[in-house]
Amino acid sequence: MATDLNPSDPPFLSIRGLRKTYGQSVAIDGVSLDIREGEFMTFLGPSGSGKSTTLYITAGFQDPTEGTVQLAGKSLLNVPPNQRNIGMVFQRYTLFPHLSVAENVAFPLRVRGWDKTQTAERVKAMLKLVHLDQHGDRKPSQLSGGQQQRVAIARALAYNPPVLLMDEPLSALDKQLREEIQFELKRIHHDTGITILYVTHDQEEALRLSDRIAVFNQGRIEQVGTGAELYEHPATRFVAGFIGHSNFLPVKLEKRRGDVADIVLPDGRRLEGAPLRCDAANGSDASLMLRPDRLHLLHDAGTDTPSIPVRVTDLSYLGDTMQVHLATNWHQDIDIRLPLRPGATPDWQVGSMGHLAWVSAHSQVHAAA
Amino acid sequence: MLLDHDRLGLPLRLSLATIGAVVVLFLLAPIVFIALLSFGSSPWLIFPPPGWTLQWYREMWADPGWLEAMWHSTRVALVVTALSVGLGFITALALVRGSFKGRALLRGFFITPMVLPVVVLAVALYALCLKVGLTGTFTGFVIGHLVIALPFSVITLTNALEGYDFALEEAAMICGATPWQVKWRVTLPALRLSLFAAGVFSFLVSWDEVVVSIFMATPGMETLPVRIWSALRQDLSPVIAAVSTVLIGITLLFMLIAALFKKDDDHGH
Repeated sequence: MATDLNPSDPPFLSIRGLRKTYGQSVAIDGVSLDIREGEFMTFLGPSGSGKSTTLYITAGFQDPTEGTVQLAGKSLLNVPPNQRNIGMVFQRYTLFPHLSVAENVAFPLRVRGWDKTQTAERVKAMLKLVHLDQHGDRKPSQLSGGQQQRVAIARALAYNPPVLLMDEPLSALDKQLREEIQFELKRIHHDTGITILYVTHDQEEALRLSDRIAVFNQGRIEQVGTGAELYEHPATRFVAGFIGHSNFLPVKLEKRRGDVADIVLPDGRRLEGAPLRCDAANGSDASLMLRPDRLHLLHDAGTDTPSIPVRVTDLSYLGDTMQVHLATNWHQDIDIRLPLRPGATPDWQVGSMGHLAWVSAHSQVHAAA
Repeated sequence: MLLDHDRLGLPLRLSLATIGAVVVLFLLAPIVFIALLSFGSSPWLIFPPPGWTLQWYREMWADPGWLEAMWHSTRVALVVTALSVGLGFITALALVRGSFKGRALLRGFFITPMVLPVVVLAVALYALCLKVGLTGTFTGFVIGHLVIALPFSVITLTNALEGYDFALEEAAMICGATPWQVKWRVTLPALRLSLFAAGVFSFLVSWDEVVVSIFMATPGMETLPVRIWSALRQDLSPVIAAVSTVLIGITLLFMLIAALFKKDDDHGH
């Protein structure tokens, strides 16, 4: 994988100040991003967050209202899509129905005027890469959805494009098949070393595949980083809520002290030194983020860690973990995950009273909702 | 399924089969009847024929009037087919891909010739062509038939385009194809079945057209159905049966080609 890239490398694909408006509505506004050569970069965000628009502008199917896209130092704007030499795999199956699998992969080579022997060799190599070398003579309609997307990947890679764009290519497949192709994709990325821009709204997919993830929200990039950076150090409340599950307690920010803050919980409890991740002023509303897997349910109140009294409202057995819903004394629902050890019976029942405890360093103060 | 054929019971299944056979017989009988008469030796169209002969086909072949009418019909039908498919495709593109106001209304408008009584259309076309001096001309026939054939193309091709994923064109373009290559190597081949169907419909509509043609025809320029019609009014000769059989034969040939074409395409699926 290309994770150990030198950050000082010049950007390979550079997106600068992109803005796209449709009449009154703004699709993206001020999107800037540098992608290194060989990097697997994922655009993650809810639908309508601007991730696809950014991808389609890079492909050349849409023109930005403002901003530039540069590939290896050259502007891509004003270059029509067919001359950008970029590979793309679409959300829907876009194989040409009248051509066989091999002819589909050969299509970009034919329009480039490659000779017959060269084309045949390349098609063979590409079908081998996606493990479909036995299916060259079939029509696309004879293949499963997963196989069709693999052919689409082979077609997009056939002409050795410097960048491969992927627009939610696995969203039409069922979960098991999706995971299978995710691993295929990782292997293909590793084998070819191609730069990939990948759009998805599935955070697990993004975490599994990407070197870095750009989190989109409302036409802007909220944060760019590795999966671990986004999960451990979310820059904004949106990222904190979108990557992994989170509980947010409504709190009052009492006093900022550099990187930390003193806060007051809804029941009047005062906590000191919670890590601060927003620029809210003293005295204003904020939220305290608590990850479900970083919380502990205890029978007695913690002495040196923060804790609050809670009542168990629901228990769900999930095999490896127990999902527990709790109610605070200000009637907020909190979701936590307790690891299950084989043989050990969980000692909690619906209605049990307990104390929810956490390590202060694992909580974060974000802006109010 | 509720109406599963296997669960209907023998009496019901038998009666269904009988009804089916009667309907087929009812539909096919006149065609078989005319074909048999065309080979019959009786000049008075006696059925069943007392003997068999090819005499009426020889007479048809010897009469330049029939051959000329056939030639006119073929020429008109071919030109109508080309225009109908071409214009129909452009129209369908605009109706499906365009985003202008009144699209639905325009779509309805393109189908009106199908809904309007043909005789009204014929009178209107006749009046117009008379005014500009197009009656009895090749152009007049083409215009008249095109008005009737075009809705078939528009309907067939709008349906086809609605089922066609335009993301295919984006995929082709990002693969490096120029806009012309995209249309030529992806869009048209992907739609070829529907284009062919539109062509067959258009050809048959023009080939069989009687009402508009009767108004449009002059002794110097008439199509095959018009000549059959006027010949029938003079005398009932078995030659007409022979000509009709040829007309049916060519129609069937077209249907057969269409069916084979479709089967060949399905084979790949």
